[in-house]
Amino acid sequence: MTPAVLYSCSFVPAEWVAAHGVRPCRTLPASGPASAWLAADMGLCPYARAFALEARAGEADAVVVTTLCDQMRRVAEIIARDSPRPVFLMHLPTTWQSAASRAYYLDELRRLGRFLVQLGGAAPSDGDLAAVMLQYDSARAALRALRGRVSPRRFSEAIAEFHRTGAVTSDALPAAAPRGVPIALLGAPMVRNHFWLFDLIEEAGGHVALDATDSGERTLPAPFAADRLHTAPLEELADAYFGHIPHAFRRPNDALYQWLGRELARSGAKGLIVRRYVWCDTWHAEVERLREWASVPVLDLDVNGGGDAEGRAANRIQAFIEALR
Amino acid sequence: MTDTPRRITLEEWDARYAELRAGGLREPAYGGPLRRHLDDGDLRLARLLYDNSAASLRLWNFLLTEEERLRQARAGGKKLVGTMKDLGTVPVMAYSLPNVVAFYPDGAWWLPCVMEMSTGMLEVADSLGIDEAFCPVRAMLGAFLTEAHFPIPDLLTCSVGATCDDFSAIAQRLEALGYPILWWEAPSRRQPDPGEAAVCLPGGFPAPQAQVDFVRSELERLRSALEALAADRLHDGRLAEGIRAANRVRRLLAELRRLAYKAEPCPLPALEMLIAEMLAIHFCSDRAESLLVFEDLLRETRRRVDAGQGVLPPGAARVFWVNPVADLRVMNLLESCGGRICGTEYLFCHALDEIPEDLPPMEALARMALADPMVGPVADRAERICADIRAFGAEGVIVSRIPGASHCATEGAVIADVVASSLGLPVVEIEVPPLSDSMQPTLSTRLTALVEVIREGRTG
Repeated sequence: MTPAVLYSCSFVPAEWVAAHGVRPCRTLPASGPASAWLAADMGLCPYARAFALEARAGEADAVVVTTLCDQMRRVAEIIARDSPRPVFLMHLPTTWQSAASRAYYLDELRRLGRFLVQLGGAAPSDGDLAAVMLQYDSARAALRALRGRVSPRRFSEAIAEFHRTGAVTSDALPAAAPRGVPIALLGAPMVRNHFWLFDLIEEAGGHVALDATDSGERTLPAPFAADRLHTAPLEELADAYFGHIPHAFRRPNDALYQWLGRELARSGAKGLIVRRYVWCDTWHAEVERLREWASVPVLDLDVNGGGDAEGRAANRIQAFIEALR
Repeated sequence: MTDTPRRITLEEWDARYAELRAGGLREPAYGGPLRRHLDDGDLRLARLLYDNSAASLRLWNFLLTEEERLRQARAGGKKLVGTMKDLGTVPVMAYSLPNVVAFYPDGAWWLPCVMEMSTGMLEVADSLGIDEAFCPVRAMLGAFLTEAHFPIPDLLTCSVGATCDDFSAIAQRLEALGYPILWWEAPSRRQPDPGEAAVCLPGGFPAPQAQVDFVRSELERLRSALEALAADRLHDGRLAEGIRAANRVRRLLAELRRLAYKAEPCPLPALEMLIAEMLAIHFCSDRAESLLVFEDLLRETRRRVDAGQGVLPPGAARVFWVNPVADLRVMNLLESCGGRICGTEYLFCHALDEIPEDLPPMEALARMALADPMVGPVADRAERICADIRAFGAEGVIVSRIPGASHCATEGAVIADVVASSLGLPVVEIEVPPLSDSMQPTLSTRLTALVEVIREGRTG
């Protein structure tokens, strides 16, 4: 049986895992379940907690966590301590300007490869890797093509589904042309039981014209360059992920703002909702800067992982979109 | 004049200072009565209890005049380097150059406490969206924007990667406000893989040589930046001398810790020891003077130990303290509750260990940077804590949470588990905000409970 690894970070290339004959499962965990194992303590990020609960209870053969955020790094240690599954902690360089940082990322991919081999996988040849990369690249092109053809919620769910299974489901009915105020959604990754947010926005008279959350289209890697795909596939893979995904955690993180500037203009968004988890310092610290920078109003939507999230969000989103009309 | 060790108030220091002066006290240029700092706005000083020695007076005066020292250094043509987040590495490099002075902007995290919230720095941070959900180090933003507490450095460096998210996020906010930062990467320390080339770091943990090589390459970027700033070469010879000078300070501090944390009765209060440990990581902007301050403290502590004198009654509960406190007064509180400090891990134990002198300097510094307890697993940190608890003979542990700090959400439980399972000692977790006055009854109850459990354990 093919072993499976569970992870949530957008900088872990699914192609690299799959090319080793291991099933990549990039999850969006579900928030909310109570647990005596990892209580919802003061200071603990609800997303990190939700991931830890799934990693401990789920059926994957191994867990991969990156250092993209400090809380996830520390939660990985607790999962490793209390779960029978092996946990691989991958250092994801925060800096990106130096060749050494990129080389470090590449070395971490190679180390991940050795971990996957220990798990029962096999090291791929360059040709095998290139073939898998091509397959994923085509799938992502199909995924991107869904934008505007299905509802915003369905589009974001399709991205999540692709990350979880590798499959692109395009059998959904074509969406009606989006109506209402176009909104850009930015911030931390969704949890899988919070996609009602898209409905809330529509009920309030808006629609998500850009899903720039960590689980949305922003974190899709760049399309691969055909020539390097065959001459240096692993290097190309590293560049497409490490060299292209804009993210708030990077230092400096100007590339996020450059990307956002382009995409806000393209999407025509009239407002920006920053969805962040309570205790997520990385996104929290960007909110005020975004307000100063953006040419559109910004709503700071903090999510605490509790059962009242929908009710709390509804009023604020309603007021925000009402003011934008 | 009496030389009996005591903890005294600021009021009592007035008379004590006069007494010392009358007895022939000779002070450095930054000397003087402690009260002048209160008059300058350091309001918290009025609520603290101090050691009554001349050595401690010098320590406090040295600490509280750092800003003036930095301004004098700039006026004297020296270049200033703000070394953010890294604790104990870049300052060693910077001080190896004759015309460079390094300091920790992070140290601003104590200003809301020392000035009892009168600075408005946290309000500045609030206005920038960095509210109380972040660690009190957010005060640093206010210090930069107001320029009221330290000069803006000529070069600002910040270590990121396997560090706390609060600081990384706050530093990013700072850079976006127009303060350029040289970021350098501290990778998450891991166990070497089987067959992988590995080294033993200062402090005893192993690490892959590849990680050390990477950190060394990052430090090379810093070396180039420092050389450009100073218009001077930071060659290995200078670095080696800088390491030797840093080690002189570290050896003095190690001896001070050994005496202060092991001797019975307790010869030096927790508060002065906290300040002393903090000085070691950046020399309080004057490496040569910091050496003299430590020598004075050590001399006084030795004298007390030899005389069997202490600042606390014999038999105080021996407590190991984890993480620095944002409110200095809590160190007094522990002692008032019947405890004393017997070992600490203030997040920079690597900066207390000697830097290897038998290695090429950059290799030695890289190994030290990678020994930072913050970049490794909490279990490593807990293991080091256990080793130090054994060395100092502590009977219980306080894990002091830093409000909002990303590492504090989970580390306390891990440390408590390891300490309890390895040593069977009681562990209490507390949280200390910059001004804890309103929480003193709660804190006092928790500290007293630990002290009582320790005492109960002695009789049981």
